[in-house]
Amino acid sequence: MKPVYLGVDVGSVTTKIVTLDEDDQLLFSTYLRTEGNPVVTIQHGLRELSNVSHEDIEVCGVGTTGSARYLAGVILGADIVKNEITSQAVGALHYIPDVHTIMEIGGQDSKIIIVRDGIVVDFGMNTVCAAGTGSFLDHQALRLNMDIKEFSSRSLLSNNPVRIAGRCTVFAESDMIHKQQMGHPVDDILHGLCQAMVRNYINNVGLGKEILPPVVFQGGVAFNQGILRAFKEELGVDVIVPPHHEVTGAIGVALLAHEEMEVTKGESKFNGFNVSMADYHTSSFECHGCSNRCEIAQISLDGKVLARWGGRCDKWERTDSEKEETKV
Amino acid sequence: MRVGFPGALLYYQYYPLCKTFFELLGAEVVTTPPTNREMVTAGSSMMVAETCLPVKVFMGHTIYLSDKCDYMFVPAVRCVEKGVYNCSKFLGLPDMTRAVVPECPPILELDVDVEKGKGNLYRGIYKLGSRLTHNPFKVKRAAEEAWRVHHQYVDYMCEWGQTPLEVMDEMFGGNGHRQVDKVEKFLSGDSIALIGHPYLLYDAYVSNRVILRLRKMGIRVATPEMVREVDLHSGTVAVDGGAYWSYGRDLVGAGGYYLRSDVDGVIGVMAFCCGPDSLMMDTVRRYAVRLKKPFMQLIVDEHTADAGLITRLEAFVDMIHRNKRR
Repeated sequence: MKPVYLGVDVGSVTTKIVTLDEDDQLLFSTYLRTEGNPVVTIQHGLRELSNVSHEDIEVCGVGTTGSARYLAGVILGADIVKNEITSQAVGALHYIPDVHTIMEIGGQDSKIIIVRDGIVVDFGMNTVCAAGTGSFLDHQALRLNMDIKEFSSRSLLSNNPVRIAGRCTVFAESDMIHKQQMGHPVDDILHGLCQAMVRNYINNVGLGKEILPPVVFQGGVAFNQGILRAFKEELGVDVIVPPHHEVTGAIGVALLAHEEMEVTKGESKFNGFNVSMADYHTSSFECHGCSNRCEIAQISLDGKVLARWGGRCDKWERTDSEKEETKV
Repeated sequence: MRVGFPGALLYYQYYPLCKTFFELLGAEVVTTPPTNREMVTAGSSMMVAETCLPVKVFMGHTIYLSDKCDYMFVPAVRCVEKGVYNCSKFLGLPDMTRAVVPECPPILELDVDVEKGKGNLYRGIYKLGSRLTHNPFKVKRAAEEAWRVHHQYVDYMCEWGQTPLEVMDEMFGGNGHRQVDKVEKFLSGDSIALIGHPYLLYDAYVSNRVILRLRKMGIRVATPEMVREVDLHSGTVAVDGGAYWSYGRDLVGAGGYYLRSDVDGVIGVMAFCCGPDSLMMDTVRRYAVRLKKPFMQLIVDEHTADAGLITRLEAFVDMIHRNKRR
């Protein structure tokens, strides 16, 4: 039985699952589309993991991160549930220990993390607007009827970018359509779009932050060579895309789980690989306790509620199992 | 006689003062329960979209209170210190209320403007009191007592390091006012100062329970109301040498004070589309960068999803923890 640490990053667009061994070496990683159903995706990923691991593995620690980290934590029985900022930073520092700036662009949000001497000293995230994130690129690729991989290579062909307004995706799209109707080649428009997104990122997310090299670029969007080129041109420094850049968040939280288990020296709360077969049921309802009418989401297994979220007060935060514990 | 005082905007600073004054004049002071979704919806449906959230919330409270009182007290706090003015939304609050909430009972107004001299303010207070009593001495006594209670209230917040709601709870014994969220396990570990206007920080709906959330993470929370006047002043001078907006002064002053104190980090809370704050908060941010102190800005608006807020708070607290551990 080989001891491993499991890291799961459930983002808005993709779900990342990794395992690390005792020496923090990456053993397994998978990158799946969440497709609006995090529970099924996590189960799918776990099945993939148990199929691939030929030798028997023993999960000694589980960490979850990403916007569905609490949901994932309940399903898997996580030992540690961490926010994306900390996880991304820990993951990046594992591969590039002297990193000073971490740029991460995911499906719905983008972040900048400023690191000095191996410590996070400042960070920024995009606000509610998803302009300049992966889902916008996805949408544009779809509109131009091309694969997102083709987007990446086509924009590299251009040496003559057109100017696109990148402040807001709605404007960017109408600007793109305008340029397209004027007869500009698609490659130049794509290159211009990459530059607009990078400008938007640096002006909004990176506002007032000191971007010092080494600069690391990670997250799913780091696959896009056009964006990478635009970053290098805009910043005037080399931008490093670390190995396994699409799963750094999951690697980070697996490292944190390892650290946590070494501190507590306890047993992992991992629910076992059987959870991939279990019939989790998610539902939601409106609370009528007061006029706030909060939307409460809950997840249950065999009719037993495991966790609830979404209330403005603590009314629903206790679950059935906790209530039973207090009765005893 | 019931005088309504909406539980938003000025509530967190002046409720004890108003309550004392009107009760000594024989009136009953009624206020509103904590902000809820109904109030926000009612308020924002009456306003143009560009108005800031706190004003929409205030109108929501006023609408709620309209059929529960005989008079509505809506002061116009223009200027409480020479050369320092309030945001234009506060200057025109009585008129705005009249225009937006037609069902509002007669409005009791009071212009607070020290630029016009003390005499002007005193005449205003007598005029206000004369709506309720014909005895000017009664008004004088009530005003003096109200002023004393107000100072006591401000002192308690500094002395006890507690939020307005907690202090009001102590002062009035939960009588005629709201219950506070009690957290058992707070007051350990790291400390974070929250800077922002009282009507943002202490309104659990607007701020998305930011104080409670931090306390549940074991954080000691400090706010501008816990800073003494003299420290606010030196804080302001340290950051940008002076202030123009009075709420901005509290914010910049508290920012300057806390950034130089031993708190582990400072979080600035501001409302989306608040004009003065967009300038004030940035001066504080620049000062934080100069002092290399952890600083984060949170912007609240009508967006109810709390995932982004939770992630930011957790990441900020984590950053402080991990920094200290090294």
